[in-house]
Amino acid sequence: MRFGGLIAVNDVSLDVHAGELVGVIGPNGAGKTTFFHTLSGVLKPSAGRLSIAGDDLTGRPPHVFAAHGVARTFQTPRVFREMSAADNVRFGLEFAGRLRRHAHDAFDDVETILGFLGLAQVAAVPAGALTPARQRLLEIGIALGARPRVLLLDEVAAGLTHTEVDATAQLIRRVRDELGVAVIWIEHAVRVLMDYVERVAVLHQGVKIADGDPRAVARDGAVIEAYLGEDGEAQRAAA
Amino acid sequence: MSRRDVSLRSVPTALGATLVCGLALVTLPWLLSDFLLALALSCLMFAALAVSWSMFCGPTHYLSLATSAFFGLGAYVTAWGLESMPYGMAVLLGGLVGAAFAAAIGTLVLHLRGAYFAVITFGLTELTLHSITYFEKSYANTAGRIIGNAPETPLIYWTVLAVTVLSVATAIVVRASRLGFALRGIGGDEERAQTLGVNTRRVKVIAFSLSAFFPGALGAAMAVRWTYIEPLSVFNPFIGFQTVLIAMVGGAQTLIGPIISSVFFSLLTEFLRLRFPYAFLLVLGALLIVLVLYLPGGLASLLTRRARSHA
Repeated sequence: MRFGGLIAVNDVSLDVHAGELVGVIGPNGAGKTTFFHTLSGVLKPSAGRLSIAGDDLTGRPPHVFAAHGVARTFQTPRVFREMSAADNVRFGLEFAGRLRRHAHDAFDDVETILGFLGLAQVAAVPAGALTPARQRLLEIGIALGARPRVLLLDEVAAGLTHTEVDATAQLIRRVRDELGVAVIWIEHAVRVLMDYVERVAVLHQGVKIADGDPRAVARDGAVIEAYLGEDGEAQRAAA
Repeated sequence: MSRRDVSLRSVPTALGATLVCGLALVTLPWLLSDFLLALALSCLMFAALAVSWSMFCGPTHYLSLATSAFFGLGAYVTAWGLESMPYGMAVLLGGLVGAAFAAAIGTLVLHLRGAYFAVITFGLTELTLHSITYFEKSYANTAGRIIGNAPETPLIYWTVLAVTVLSVATAIVVRASRLGFALRGIGGDEERAQTLGVNTRRVKVIAFSLSAFFPGALGAAMAVRWTYIEPLSVFNPFIGFQTVLIAMVGGAQTLIGPIISSVFFSLLTEFLRLRFPYAFLLVLGALLIVLVLYLPGGLASLLTRRARSHA
């Protein structure tokens, strides 16, 4: 992915299988969000290919990605502020979600999805009036309404307290387990992610520098160097 | 399962109420003097213009100034075609021409937003006006046209009433439909709506085109009120501005707001014109400023505000 002279994401290849929970980490400006924009069709890649279950979607508009089961959240919650929380979830169900059914109907209606996220009591509240933490949860609910095959989560744990992060992570695992969707989860806070994913990819300056088991990746020299920078030096000195 | 919140309880009730009101209004030509009937006609016309404008621009927050273009094209359908087709057919054709023109310009300019969209729709109206003027001068050797065999006022009134009832009914159905839901999503966050599976480009063109049927039909229906029509009078940008003002003052997010406000405006304009023939535009302008400053949600927000304070 190229912006003028800047190559934001270069030659990153990531194969994700159904039911897999993959974390993507990287320091600021590593290209994580740009990577998601390309995966969801919001940005067209200047080179490379994107395919979902064998269908090549390279260069197609975002609604085609959604129709193929790619659902995403945004780093800064982009809920429909004037609509109720229930209508937000219904939006996904009415459009992208209408085209597919889930393997089983655990998340097939607004009430179930909101109940699962603990948002049942605010169903009628305009989304813009919810707390930021709840808007983040609602973002996940909107994406679930779209009945995804691949769920792209962009920093859903940012700004949450430790307990909230833990709850969100449990929730994401349950979604994965119950629906068998593939989840790609971007997080800036490494530690959060490492505890919950089975596989992690590391982006640095737009390049994938590691991909594999979180424990192995955490010990990877290049990752420590790139990701932690001077902090890493300090930490190693301390260790 | 709870339905998504529409301001009117249910579609059949709303459609029923519209039909009942429509039928009641059918009697007006027997009850009113010519002067009052003309006033009622103007109320109906602006109600239909404002309701159809709000159909697209309300939920999406687009500001279209193209109403005059659709209206003028409709009027010219009548001017060109009334000799060879019945009045009702000209009205239908006027609507279809408006819708087709909207689909064409919508495809080209609906990716623009905010002031850019407003300016380009205004520009397109001017362009249409001058194209028609040029066409008439070079090929028909005429500056304007005299409309012969114009129907009687009651028939015009009933036709405009039918178009108005149809516009309100369409607005009710659109609001409750997936199309209306998609439009609200586009107004909220277009890119988000796209990532949730809405082909926003297509949805916008369809809705814009549908909303343009009504000004086209009204232009065709009202053209016979003027015995002589020329581009400057039927492509009058004032029609577009007034539609926007009525819709905004009434509350473009609502259905009832633009209707109330069109009646309010037509009566007010008439009253001011009779009482203060020289200062009426000044008074109207001042009143608008006050309304926009103190009632940004439109007249309809008075109703919801009262409902809320009672709750």
